[in-house]
Amino acid sequence: MKRIIEHPSAPANGRTYWRSLGEYARTPDFEEWLHREFPAGAAEWDNDPLSRRSFLRLMGASLALAGLGLSGCRRPEAHLVPFTQTPEWVISGKNMSFATAQPRRRGAVPLLATTFDGRPTKMEGNPLHPASQGASDNHAQASVLDLYDPARRRHLTRSGKKAEVSELEAEINRIRAEAAGNGGASLAILADETLSPTRERLRAELLRQFPQCTWAVYEPLAPGRDLEAAAAAFGTGTEVRPDLSAAKTILAVDCDFLGSDEGDISDTRGFASGRRIRKPGDSSNRLYVAEPRFSLTGTMADHRLRLRAGAVGSFLLELARQVRSLRPNSELNVVLSKSPDLPLPQGVDPAWIRECAADLVAQGNRSLVLVGRRQPAAVQALGYAINAALGNVGTALRVQPRLSAPSTTIQSLSEKIRSNSIRTLILLGGDPVYNAPAELGWANLLASVPNTFHLSPVFNATSAMSTWFIPGTHYLEAWGDALAADGSTLCIQPMIQPLWAGESQLEFLTRWIGQPKPMGPALVRETFSLRTKLGAEKLEQEWNDFVREGFLTNSAGSTSRALNSSGVAALLPNIDSPASSEAGSLEAVFTHSGAVDDGRYANNGWLQEWPDPMTKLTWDNAILLSSKTADSLGLKNEIINGILVADMVKATLGTRTVEAPVVVAPGHADFAVSLPVGYGQDFLGPVAKGAGFDAYALRTTDSDYIAQGLRLERTGKTRQLAVTQEHQVMEGRDLVREAALSEFNQNPGWAKKVGMDAHIPKNQTFYPSPKLTGEHQWAMVVDLSTCTGCNACVTACTAENNIPVVGKDQVMKGREMHWIRVDRYYTGEPEEPEAVSQPVACMQCENAPCETVCPVNATVHNEEGLNVMAYNRCIGTRYCANNCPYKVRRFNFFDYNQRPLDKLYWGPLAPKGTEETLKLQKNPNVTVRMRGVMEKCTFCVQRIEEAKINARVKARDSDNIRIPSGSLQTACQQACPADAIVFGDLKDEQSEVSQLRSLPQNYSLLEYLNVRPRLTYLGRIRNPNPAMPGARTSYVPAHGHEESHGHENSGENQNSEEAHK
Amino acid sequence: MANIFPRWTNWLPIKILVCVAVVAASVISGMAYYFTPKYTRVGYQPTQPVAFDHSLHVNQLGMDCRYCHTGVEKSSHSNVPGTQTCMNCHTQIKSLSPKLAPIRDSWKTGQPVPWVRIHKAPDYVYFNHSVHVNRGVSCVACHGQVNHMEVVYHAKPHSMGWCLECHRAPQNHLRPLDQITNLDWKPPAGTTQRELGEKFVHDWNVNPPVSCSGCHR
Repeated sequence: MKRIIEHPSAPANGRTYWRSLGEYARTPDFEEWLHREFPAGAAEWDNDPLSRRSFLRLMGASLALAGLGLSGCRRPEAHLVPFTQTPEWVISGKNMSFATAQPRRRGAVPLLATTFDGRPTKMEGNPLHPASQGASDNHAQASVLDLYDPARRRHLTRSGKKAEVSELEAEINRIRAEAAGNGGASLAILADETLSPTRERLRAELLRQFPQCTWAVYEPLAPGRDLEAAAAAFGTGTEVRPDLSAAKTILAVDCDFLGSDEGDISDTRGFASGRRIRKPGDSSNRLYVAEPRFSLTGTMADHRLRLRAGAVGSFLLELARQVRSLRPNSELNVVLSKSPDLPLPQGVDPAWIRECAADLVAQGNRSLVLVGRRQPAAVQALGYAINAALGNVGTALRVQPRLSAPSTTIQSLSEKIRSNSIRTLILLGGDPVYNAPAELGWANLLASVPNTFHLSPVFNATSAMSTWFIPGTHYLEAWGDALAADGSTLCIQPMIQPLWAGESQLEFLTRWIGQPKPMGPALVRETFSLRTKLGAEKLEQEWNDFVREGFLTNSAGSTSRALNSSGVAALLPNIDSPASSEAGSLEAVFTHSGAVDDGRYANNGWLQEWPDPMTKLTWDNAILLSSKTADSLGLKNEIINGILVADMVKATLGTRTVEAPVVVAPGHADFAVSLPVGYGQDFLGPVAKGAGFDAYALRTTDSDYIAQGLRLERTGKTRQLAVTQEHQVMEGRDLVREAALSEFNQNPGWAKKVGMDAHIPKNQTFYPSPKLTGEHQWAMVVDLSTCTGCNACVTACTAENNIPVVGKDQVMKGREMHWIRVDRYYTGEPEEPEAVSQPVACMQCENAPCETVCPVNATVHNEEGLNVMAYNRCIGTRYCANNCPYKVRRFNFFDYNQRPLDKLYWGPLAPKGTEETLKLQKNPNVTVRMRGVMEKCTFCVQRIEEAKINARVKARDSDNIRIPSGSLQTACQQACPADAIVFGDLKDEQSEVSQLRSLPQNYSLLEYLNVRPRLTYLGRIRNPNPAMPGARTSYVPAHGHEESHGHENSGENQNSEEAHK
Repeated sequence: MANIFPRWTNWLPIKILVCVAVVAASVISGMAYYFTPKYTRVGYQPTQPVAFDHSLHVNQLGMDCRYCHTGVEKSSHSNVPGTQTCMNCHTQIKSLSPKLAPIRDSWKTGQPVPWVRIHKAPDYVYFNHSVHVNRGVSCVACHGQVNHMEVVYHAKPHSMGWCLECHRAPQNHLRPLDQITNLDWKPPAGTTQRELGEKFVHDWNVNPPVSCSGCHR
């Protein structure tokens, strides 16, 4: 008898989880969408005159014709090309790892680069470095693709024409001679922030030769107000760095410290370490968040308050007063003595602040108040003062010497250019024409300087306007050094010779100070020896360690500083009263983009296709606003066939306007909008072209973060946006399970008995279970309590598994290829929702439904419990995807690796082949899949097999072929900064994954289907404070039955570990 | 009315049937023979840029496979030696031989010698040399008696079925680890390959993968 599984819906008395506003409102469009296997048009050729049937007929005929010629029968001659002289250490076919680092504006990321035959293919965090401990983030993971970007320029150009290096040399010598006359007064440098000690050394040398020269540093998203605040609060030359692992109660005010802009990898790691709850009685930290837009940090919040960015100052003043009243403090008295008396922001419950302050005070010096680094300096300084009053300075808040050296700002440089005193401008990286404050008019400024030199790894808007464009190196191509956020010095070791005739910033600077081009690491090594001051012999040893391990620990360490309360008090009168915001005059906040950051990664296909963790938007940015704001402006979003059709608006700020789509973001503060920057760069290359709008066009010096008085007007046009949030919907089936800490303490096994899972009858499968006889049994557990939803795993998986980029058009059809997706569920009311992130990859079901429907046995089970795909067997029926309850299978509708994405529909006429450089990135241990093939997460089977082979090679004639537990990591697990993903062997009872699977809060998705997933989840445990106003203390749905009823059978088929142990 | 079909047509259906059967049988047997790796690969013997004689180097000079194929015990790939390896000896021996001119040219110019590839697994097959030679599978099992080849040729079919023959019954091919590169090795008198092989399978815990993921990733 056919067994029909009626998926039970979530109990009526439970909380509902929703992924989009369409799902929340249950619009007819959404309902129809839900019942389709693929989005409309994804499974048919509706826009093609050639029907599928006639296509097959034609194909058959051409195949027959091709057969007549038998042209393909001769074996093509291939060659094996060995080295003439084999380099040391190279074993053909083996990969090697080297320590290196990716420079960033707020501290470089220590990395390990994996290279195959000399080409870097994958980045990992450096496991030796104490801050990251092997974790990385999406930008580090994706940076390797930038190296191979085909849009990188290959030649030096002068006024757009190819030039020779000798011409550049002559020009530089001429300008040097000219500048020597006036002490360099006519010379200016505008650099991006790399935190490189060697660059600082060369800068000092340049300034020695040309004392009058101007050195300016510009980072669009790091205006340095945190440094200003630290200087006021703790003295000049300091900066502040949080230690999240030391904090028990955290308040983040407009500070997305779990995101990639405000935070460092170590912040996520520290925060997650305080949330790892394993058994009843374990403690958890508590996170309060007050923020304008729903950020990653907001999803982890136990209490979240919607607060406009402009109201943060008055919020913090009230908080400071509450802290003072709870714990009288003389310093805080001084600080608050001159503070303005500001009203509380609209809609903020004073009780929220009071109870939050009480909780912070109750933790003594184990609390932390974090304020966004682009907030005004006065507001941030007040934040430091509150931390000092709570006693956190030196524990959860470290004061350390400032990493970046003081420089001129872009504003004063612009002033000098305007007064015609600058004749030569050297631009080291950056793109001021695109991202400088709009009122400066950099396009005109740049054109007014006679000699401009732009050194940049990418050709951007500034390059196009500069006299000279010098192709720069990627960080994997040249020696360098940089400071990490914790102050340690990282070695940037090149992995490959510059692909094109590139030059690093350091090499380019040596031209300007008249030194010969450095040989290899000579410059970096010289800096190292000057900094370490070691003798020749010791130096050699230490230098080798530095290069091998990749870092030199910060010897300066953190300094304990007392708060300069009068310094803070002097700033406080600058705190603005929260401007009243209304539909006609909105508050705008310029945010970074989680995908392309400030725009530097805009030509990176992996990042363009990376779904934003909150909006799930790909290939675009949009103005984010709350539904109340949207309603009052008459703006709307519609989901049509899974495509987000967004109203376009004309956004006006002062005299500047841009046209942009709006996206209604649940949980956004009312009458405030967020404008992510970094898009709308048509210069960068084919990937960036057409993606999003340029929010920098509205941004000025005074409003580089918060701007008041933005007007949005409907234009009547709409824009189709590619969102992944409604793809692969799993629809109200208790997929995420949450409990408050108190509920968990009483009922640790709650997650196993939510909804249907309390009533599972003894279940049987029609098909024989696979024989699980392997030496290992692989499984994965994801801890939802620590997963922040940052999507680093998605990029890591893309890099490891050769996952193709499919383009916006294909994403709109639901054909994105990511093997792991991070589902983001909202719960509660759309105005004040909470959110949970849940990474979903192939569950590697033991009773896998996909296997039984494959007509050609292309997907089968192996003896170690993996559901494996044999691509060369797959004929593309897609039955497996149809039968997968988790919707984790991905189909190659086109030859994404072989055809240009804008010509996919040209069929056989499309130009074939891919850019040579992009092939270099591919992982040689994973098949590059072709059209017509199904694929899915493999638990990184190539890593498993490699580990098994290594164990056997080591065993030789002994019988110990087991892989030691913990020696094998999947790509997603390795990248995860929160260590939320644990992978390992179930046969080893001591392995972490076995331990986690036996925890009471471990549950599997759709347990009642009896597919026995190998990927399970630890239920999310929140830690709400019952004293907070409107606190939600119960997360477990009420059950509605007596505990004694109906549970006899539960759990009978839950874990199959016993079966194969 | 005369007969429409003359008498000889009585036999026509049978003749057609026999013809079709003969044609079908020859097509099927032809494909079964000619379209398999046993025919398409075995015997492939391209002309190399330098007529390197394995039988001379191994049998007469007694060189071990691993002198040149250095990576075979460590890596998935068994490398073809670089020019430097040849020049280790051939700067002294036969240093002026015209047959070695391509090697000397390569050494002088830095341009590698383009050896013609004989054994090639498809791109979706991930074969690993190191795990085989470290666990008792000799070179001879897949490459034949290269030590007796003056010009190397493809000796075994390397089809998937052929791989699985051994993966399902490794005892037929395992040998002591010190005899891996001795391509003339035979089980010592008094023992059989099967006895020895079964002992190794047991003692070394040999369980080769027979599921897809063993080779396809």
